[in-house]
Amino acid sequence: MKRRDDEWVSLLIVIGATLLVAFGLIALVGSNLMVAVSSFLRGIFGSSYAMSEVLVRATPLMLAALGVSIGFKTGFTNLGAEGQLYMGAIAITATALVFPGLPPIVMIPLVILVGFAAGGAWALVPGFLKARFSISEVIMTIMLNYVAINLVGILVRTGLKDPAYPYPMSPILPESANFMQLLPPTRIHAGLVMALLMVIAVHLLVFRSRLGFEMRAVGLNGRACHCSGIQVNRATILSAIAGGGLAGLAGVSEIAGLHHRLIEGISPGFGYVAIIVALLGKNHPFGIVFASIGIAALQIGSMAMQRTAGVPTSIASIVMGALILFLVIRDSRQSIAILEGV
Amino acid sequence: MEPIVVVTTFFAASIRMAIPLALAGLGESISEKSGLLNIGVEAIMLCGAFFSFMVVFSTGSFFLGILAGMLGGLSMSMLHALLSIRFKANQTIVGLAQNFLALGLTSFLFLMSFGQTTTLPSTKVLGDLPIPLLSSIPFIGQVLFSQNLFVYLTLGCMVLAHICFYKTDFGVALHAVGEHPIAADTAGLQVHTIRYIAALFNGILGGLGGAYLTTVKLGFFQENITAGKGYIALVAVILGKRTPFGILGAALVIGGAEALQIRLQTAGTGIPSQLFAMFPYLMTIAALLLTIGSAHDPAALGIPYDRDKR
Repeated sequence: MKRRDDEWVSLLIVIGATLLVAFGLIALVGSNLMVAVSSFLRGIFGSSYAMSEVLVRATPLMLAALGVSIGFKTGFTNLGAEGQLYMGAIAITATALVFPGLPPIVMIPLVILVGFAAGGAWALVPGFLKARFSISEVIMTIMLNYVAINLVGILVRTGLKDPAYPYPMSPILPESANFMQLLPPTRIHAGLVMALLMVIAVHLLVFRSRLGFEMRAVGLNGRACHCSGIQVNRATILSAIAGGGLAGLAGVSEIAGLHHRLIEGISPGFGYVAIIVALLGKNHPFGIVFASIGIAALQIGSMAMQRTAGVPTSIASIVMGALILFLVIRDSRQSIAILEGV
Repeated sequence: MEPIVVVTTFFAASIRMAIPLALAGLGESISEKSGLLNIGVEAIMLCGAFFSFMVVFSTGSFFLGILAGMLGGLSMSMLHALLSIRFKANQTIVGLAQNFLALGLTSFLFLMSFGQTTTLPSTKVLGDLPIPLLSSIPFIGQVLFSQNLFVYLTLGCMVLAHICFYKTDFGVALHAVGEHPIAADTAGLQVHTIRYIAALFNGILGGLGGAYLTTVKLGFFQENITAGKGYIALVAVILGKRTPFGILGAALVIGGAEALQIRLQTAGTGIPSQLFAMFPYLMTIAALLLTIGSAHDPAALGIPYDRDKR
């Protein structure tokens, strides 16, 4: 019981320290603290539309963070969710444009499958290279992000370009490839349902299946697993593919639910923020649900704060970075045990 | 243009592109040799770029600006060292969080100082400093000795680092704490102190690499100005196998790819420029594949040292 109290106290200190950083930054730009905080909160809770926007933003974060967390389970540090997301977006666009006549009942599962496969394939490369040749996945996944982003840039100017417009974007996708809008005036779409289903699926995979057990074991001690007959490389590669696939679904969801066409910059760094989300959610699927909504709220709120109080939105990045660092310090006692596994 | 002029300007441009990668890569290699894996090079370079720009902008002094860049980089690398050594944190996670922190912080402070402007505030850039006599050697003089101060500085750092790594006691100590900290400790080496010193060099050199971007190459600052250069510096470290001249070579290859893609982009071929922009990244991936089987990491890389543990 004593330990539990300690944990709550230290968590409160972390939250307090993070708030202090945020308030300090607000004071630094010379904004009124009360105005800034109230615009932040109103940006999130001010209307049902504002609240729905938090969920809209949480959707891709949740999917991509689930992907990142599966990689973390086997020690595959996947910083490539951004690129995998874009590959998913390319896949759904290409599929829907090539087969425009398919009915939704065929189209939707098809684009989900193709998006998952594209994201998974993008992660397979660094996964295989790490497992087989121990090439650093950290660097490989980052490099592949830049390749994927530039690939989108090329495709919206060439193969997937809308010939009717001079702008770099694809044509609007056929309606059969659209995700259902759930609560019409708001932009909440079926991607959120897909994300929540994936939360359950990931939970079952990681904590209720043999493969999930192997993945967790590999993350804790690969050498011991190898000695006891677990195929370490297979577990690493599969976790990379599954993780990349989930990030690919984030791209599918953004296109099918929001943009309905491929444009550059559909992701304002969702793939990178997803890493923060996965860490905050302690790599647990249910933790990620809350973390993704929390981070989405932070971003939506800081946008409102920029509009009303003139505080730059970059405050959100600072808060995320600081929060992780404070948590790292807080966990330093416990993290020693975890680290030895990684 | 004569072919020889094209080749000369291309090599000179490659060297200029390679400088920030080589400086930051050298810093990171010192850190990694001691066992500290800092993937927050991006954060170090961003802070170096930002603070040197701010100081040059407000004082007009390149000397003070470059000093500020080093201090900016230092703040990030020492924070990483503190969390990695004192708090035994996961070094990758700390590096990542720092990248977020620095990206947010620099763009926040920049917007705070200048607001949303359509024209970026800019400064003069550090000019070229041809070395008398040497610069008049045909070809080599143009490529090597008609450059800016940073080019000479980088070459000097590489030579010094080479001597330090392989000819001095400190070099031996550095390798020892990265390969076998327990043995190093037993032999009387201060493991943590040596790691802090390594982080110090990492911050100074990475900060210089960042400062180069704003004070020499561009003369302005914008959000995320490094755009992944910190990560590419990490690639240079691996490709160069953590040896100073190896890193310089790797940086030159990547810098050459960068110079080539800019050439091609501006050539007006009608091909989307993204195809060329992708080129340096594909190049680094291909180069990484070439390291298969020959890479050797320090044995204690990324592992915190705890005296009471075996």
